[in-house]
Amino acid sequence: MQIRQQAISRALSQLPQALLLSLRNHLEIWATVVVVLAAASFMLSRGTGFSITLMTVFAIWAMLAVSLNLVLGYTGLLSVGHVGFYGIGAYTVAALTANPRQELLEGEIIQIFAWPFFAALPVAVALCGVVAFVVGVAFSRFRDDVYVLVSFGFAIIAYNVFVNWQWVTRGPFGIHQIPKPAIFGYTINDDLEFLVLTLAFLAIVVGISWLIVTSSFGRVLKAVREDEDAIEVFGYRSSRYKLAIWVISAMMAGLAGAMLATYTSFVDPNSFILLESILLVAIVILGGLASIWGSLLGALAFVLLEEGVRFVPFLPPEHVGQVRQIILGTLLVLLMLFRPQGVAGRFKL
Amino acid sequence: MDILSRPGRPTLILAIALTLLAVAYIGWKVTESPDQALQFTITGLNVGAVYALLALGFTLVYSTVWFFDLYYGAAAAIGAYFVFYLRAGQTTDASYDPANIGLNIALGAVVAGVTAWALHTAFFERMQGRYPPLLVRAAYLLIAVGAGGYTTILLLYPDNLHQIAAPLITLISTAVIGTVLYWALGRFGFGSTGSSRLVTIFSAVIGLVAGATAAIALAQTPESRLYISWLVSCLLAGAVSLALYRGLYAFILLRARSTLIMLVATLGVLLTITAILVMVFSNTTHPLPASFGNNLLTLGGATFKEFALFAIGSAFLGFAILWLLIRKSPLGKVIRAIGDDEQVARVVGINTTAIIAIVFFIGAMYAAFAGILTGQDIAIQPRMGLELLLKGWIASVVGGIGNLYGAILGGFLLGVVEQFGIWDIAGEWQDGVALILLIVFLSFWPRGIIPRR
Repeated sequence: MQIRQQAISRALSQLPQALLLSLRNHLEIWATVVVVLAAASFMLSRGTGFSITLMTVFAIWAMLAVSLNLVLGYTGLLSVGHVGFYGIGAYTVAALTANPRQELLEGEIIQIFAWPFFAALPVAVALCGVVAFVVGVAFSRFRDDVYVLVSFGFAIIAYNVFVNWQWVTRGPFGIHQIPKPAIFGYTINDDLEFLVLTLAFLAIVVGISWLIVTSSFGRVLKAVREDEDAIEVFGYRSSRYKLAIWVISAMMAGLAGAMLATYTSFVDPNSFILLESILLVAIVILGGLASIWGSLLGALAFVLLEEGVRFVPFLPPEHVGQVRQIILGTLLVLLMLFRPQGVAGRFKL
Repeated sequence: MDILSRPGRPTLILAIALTLLAVAYIGWKVTESPDQALQFTITGLNVGAVYALLALGFTLVYSTVWFFDLYYGAAAAIGAYFVFYLRAGQTTDASYDPANIGLNIALGAVVAGVTAWALHTAFFERMQGRYPPLLVRAAYLLIAVGAGGYTTILLLYPDNLHQIAAPLITLISTAVIGTVLYWALGRFGFGSTGSSRLVTIFSAVIGLVAGATAAIALAQTPESRLYISWLVSCLLAGAVSLALYRGLYAFILLRARSTLIMLVATLGVLLTITAILVMVFSNTTHPLPASFGNNLLTLGGATFKEFALFAIGSAFLGFAILWLLIRKSPLGKVIRAIGDDEQVARVVGINTTAIIAIVFFIGAMYAAFAGILTGQDIAIQPRMGLELLLKGWIASVVGGIGNLYGAILGGFLLGVVEQFGIWDIAGEWQDGVALILLIVFLSFWPRGIIPRR
């Protein structure tokens, strides 16, 4: 009896430690539970329309995060330039599908294509691939810090193009009245149907990523990440692998951009500033490097954070973005201190 | 940088061809309209001075710790913003008052922490044997709290900056003049002939007198407030940098597996500080109060502000100070030793953490001064930190990272190339030109113009 009591009290005294240990070893599961529960309760409390918006935004960010994770998590290249491809995808769709209403810009006639969305989408994705290939040929020689620097550069050049190439992008005002996707004469106007479409694309992106990371190609990528010189000794041309994954990832980011353009029905350069890219890096690292599930989790947490900050009392609305940025920045620092692989990650930076 | 492979022969030929093409283009342009070329050169040198200052600080920090500190960009923004913070009354109408008590207290706390750390590092070991440790601790904590309170008061009453800053100016001038005098006297053989203590006391007294005179003179001229606010901003940016290194980076470095960890952590710091700047000062562009040198000068067909000369001059002065510090002073020897191998430096008894903290302080001061120059020349906005960081980074890579000569050369080269690159196209593509220059250099000369030995 006494012994039993002692055993129970000992177990109880060890409970906090055990919980902490379990939290550290199974952080992925705990985080999933917490984030999904938070998302569910948030959506239930805000109603259907809000839930659909939230999920659509989540799906777009998740596509971006998964695409960046292929480069950052699996190949170990810290790219801050993904916002460029996101923007290229969005602008291509916007320029090709926009309705012929705003035809004049300072007296110049702008070519209006008014293509259907599903015709513009492949063009956008292909254009991202081509741009990524051209840029990647120069970039794939670099690694580590230098890669960060040049990808910073790419993001800034892309932003400059969006702002200044007015003939196509219409400058700081952006392109408005982008139609919703239509297929065989049926327009997807309903938010729920659009959500299904976006989730379908997300599923495709996740599926392709999963195929890549489980294939032999993915293993070479991981080897490049772990030791690039060693994999070169084994006869792999690491720069080709880096180029290939960069192009694939850029195309996925372009897809996300295309969905954004048709979802918000307008694009302007402010959606594609460098900061967005840094936030994206924060999402991927927070969710977990080299973990597709982690990227989805990170994107969901980010969207929740973005919307949740709006409901903080006593917070002026113009500071919402800044508070989000401070939280993410602090999280990045804390993650680097205590958990460099992110919540669900399998690769320590 | 050994991570980049050396270029082979075909790339070298391509690189030389590209360079010749660029030179031919510029030469053709110059013969076409020499006045315009002169204008571009002078504008480029003006902008390049800022880049050179940024690159100097950046390369100093990078070649000591070998990771990229992205807080560096925020330091530039902090420098410029604190000039605005202290002098907002001179630029905006009375209704806009950025005064923020929370910010003042936070910075006071940072300064207090930095002071406490500095006193602890410098004196604790020496004082421990002579006095009870508790007394020593209490003494430097008291001084630290005093310094923090002083900072808060300094930030609270920006209109009386020239009077309140008098003790600070006395302290700094005393240190600078005393050190220079001590060095000069030792140079001429006074220090080594057994009269060392006398020389020290003499230098200190002369320094104190000169410093106090300067402080009193400044306290009677309200116009000097702008320039005192430059000094205060630089010191604050440096203090924040030091606090970040000692309070944060040092711990991350203990377990960091790669330099990317530090890069991401400092990225987080940059994000946070930029957001705080936006929250406190709003997202709009602000002007800084007008400084001296707004008269226009003409040289040939080119016109420029006198301030451009000041900017270029301060870049060279900054280079000279850093060169003396790194190449000639005992501190510089230690810094170079840490840059070569931190572990070995620690083994031979160098307090690497303290030295690196000083390096961070100096580097951030360079960044802050570059930020102030930009702000005085154009205007300030929260995103300037990231842009200046990129320019300084590019300039130091182009010049040859880890090399002071390379940094100043790269800075001026970047400034001039940017100007010539946008000759035929719109000025908005300036950043693009800078990045193309970077990619060309990284592809063909990854070690920069003057590689580090």
